[in-house]
Amino acid sequence: MKTYFHLDMDAFFVSVEELFDPSLKGKPVVVGGRPNERGVVSAASYAARKFGVHSAMPLRTAYKMCPKAIFVDGHPERYREYSEKVFETLRGFSPLVEMASIDEAYLDMTGTERLHGPPLRAAHLLHQRIKEVTHLNCSIGIATSRLVAKISSDQAKPNGVLWVIPGSETAYLAPLDVRKVPGVGKVTEKNLHAVGIRKVGDLARLEESFLGERFGKWGLALAGKSRGLDAGGWFDTEIGAEEGPKSISHEHTFNEDTAGVPQLESTLSRLCEMVGRRLREHGLHARTIQLKLRYSDFSTITRAHSVARATQIDTEIFEEIRNLFRANWRAGWPVRLLGVHVSGWAEGGEQMDLLGEDRHQKWSRTLAAADRLRDRFGEKAVSLAASMRGNFKERTHENPAGLPGKRPKADR
Amino acid sequence: MEFTVSKSELVRELSLSQGVVEKKTTIPILSNVLLEAAEDRVTLTATDLELGIRCSCPARVKKEGSGTVPARKLLEFVRLLPEGDVNMKFLENHWASITCGRSRTRIAGMSRESFPELPATPESIAEIPVKTLASMITRTSFAISMEESRFTLNGALLVMRPEGLTMVATDGHRLAFVQATPEASGTVDQQFRALVPKKAMNELVKLADDAGPDEKALFSGDENHLFFQVGHRLLMTRKLTGNFPDYERVLPKDHALSAKLLKDEIKSAIERVAQFADERSHAIRVQFLSGEVRIFSSSVEMGESEESVLSEYTGPDLEIGFNAQYLLDFLRAIPQDHISFELKDQKSAGELRPAGEGITDQYRYVVMPMRI
Repeated sequence: MKTYFHLDMDAFFVSVEELFDPSLKGKPVVVGGRPNERGVVSAASYAARKFGVHSAMPLRTAYKMCPKAIFVDGHPERYREYSEKVFETLRGFSPLVEMASIDEAYLDMTGTERLHGPPLRAAHLLHQRIKEVTHLNCSIGIATSRLVAKISSDQAKPNGVLWVIPGSETAYLAPLDVRKVPGVGKVTEKNLHAVGIRKVGDLARLEESFLGERFGKWGLALAGKSRGLDAGGWFDTEIGAEEGPKSISHEHTFNEDTAGVPQLESTLSRLCEMVGRRLREHGLHARTIQLKLRYSDFSTITRAHSVARATQIDTEIFEEIRNLFRANWRAGWPVRLLGVHVSGWAEGGEQMDLLGEDRHQKWSRTLAAADRLRDRFGEKAVSLAASMRGNFKERTHENPAGLPGKRPKADR
Repeated sequence: MEFTVSKSELVRELSLSQGVVEKKTTIPILSNVLLEAAEDRVTLTATDLELGIRCSCPARVKKEGSGTVPARKLLEFVRLLPEGDVNMKFLENHWASITCGRSRTRIAGMSRESFPELPATPESIAEIPVKTLASMITRTSFAISMEESRFTLNGALLVMRPEGLTMVATDGHRLAFVQATPEASGTVDQQFRALVPKKAMNELVKLADDAGPDEKALFSGDENHLFFQVGHRLLMTRKLTGNFPDYERVLPKDHALSAKLLKDEIKSAIERVAQFADERSHAIRVQFLSGEVRIFSSSVEMGESEESVLSEYTGPDLEIGFNAQYLLDFLRAIPQDHISFELKDQKSAGELRPAGEGITDQYRYVVMPMRI
């Protein structure tokens, strides 16, 4: 039998901001940007949540709901720094740690009883240790599956520890709303409500075959989940057995739609840099490079090109993206959003070029140095000159570049 | 127009046009072949606007004139006719009536008015033995880039100099260079340099296959086109534009290390080992050790393979990654029994050459390694 912890930092972004500005404590705080800006709420304090503000809500909506809230810009470099501290602390407790995002992690604690004692005691120690190191609150869920651990850490909030005793998973889950199950969003919830399923217990009582027929493979996973088992998507993998991303992308929504070529191309350059950084972090080389372009009227196009030599070099990605942009943008049409998306990882050897190999190698070394600078001094420490105009502030993101535990792999 | 022609001769000339006519064209007339009867010959012309071919065969012309019919359909049909004479006659509505033995057929044609004119052939500036040309093409064309966006690499560079003909092709990962001896290069009146599209090279090889051993190609060029006249057949092509990379910079000046190998041994070994290379990258590892060369492959899904061949190699132990396909392309293109594999280090280009006696021309094949 396995023992998993799910540790989730309480209102992470807001709590970090409070460390730097204690006057924010207890007040409704919204992290993500100014109330009149485009973009969404990255995080809201508990006081703001009482007004209905939640993350992913447009900032302007948040302002309407809670005009008194204090709106602050996110500080991604601060969150990364604290996330790193959390990660290091967790590593001291178990070798099998997976940061699921910047503020939550799964730990496989199986077999650590002799070191840390029974689960509740270990969780208590961990909880204290996190507080000592970061001065931040967290909540910990303990269970025999990662799924139940995640649900219970949510129930333990704020600042609590909850242990679902082995054998009681089904009983524990039964009275919860189906929405509490990770992976069940608005749409699935609606579909389940439509067939009269409201509680997790309703799900567990159903025949698996019914769910399979009605919702396909996803339905079967749901059946497993309702019994507290790890199933479906990420839950099918083991902690530490990281699958890696299937694609990497970054997007930017302009505060005001623009048709200015320098600003558009510069923004693309910046997005390419961000994508390149993530590629190098994962040790991946992408073969397919895709541009996403949304006009003012929300009509959206995506155009992709496959390159002969898979790349992780910002300038090479940008060259392709710029070609795609120039070939596909209806000149003069204001653009609302730009995105750069890469996929198709190259495996098994990288073919070197006869022509321009020196240039390629120089860029590789330069970018490796730039990445080390960013690791130390933040994402904005260095950038391509072409990106300067597009130096929009990085949105606070749950899965940013530089996520702890995902250090760059050694160069092949 | 009306003429009578031998079936076998018509089939032979028609076959040569098939590589030129567009399979999928938005301009219907380009699927057609133009037939022109005059004096005692019938001339066949096909073009896709990039490439054009004009050939002819003897005919008994009853009435001079011209017309066009779908090239593929005409060949497919005429091929099935019994040996003997075929009579062809164009009707008022541009259809062509074909009579042969007891067969009576009418094939839908189109007016010749809309058939594009081939550019006029300028005066020739060189006479090149077609066998030389063909052998240079078969040793370089595989290195041409398949990537359409790299349009300057979609053909080979042909250079004519008093020292002899040179042909170079590259896809950016490997480069093939052939320089013929002055004797084999024929007579060249002036220096000339042009990019020949891959499709034209393929057609030239077909013309050479059908030509006599000592036949010469009369070569000429205008601003946009190249012309190769082989006997009564003319191939013309639009030139590729753009700058071909500076190949002289790519050709290694010297190599520290050299391994001599038996071509058939190394070729078979690579063919077997490559079965277990990654399907996309074709990556294999080649180890150069004292007295032998070892080849390795491994793929997570399929397994792994290893083979060793004897070699005269005395340098330090060295392991380099290569695309197996690139090495095989070279090994399959040469008639010689021995090769030399020249190297510097893991990150520098390797070079393959035929070795042994009786080699008169220069053939160099430069391959960039893979990082593995």
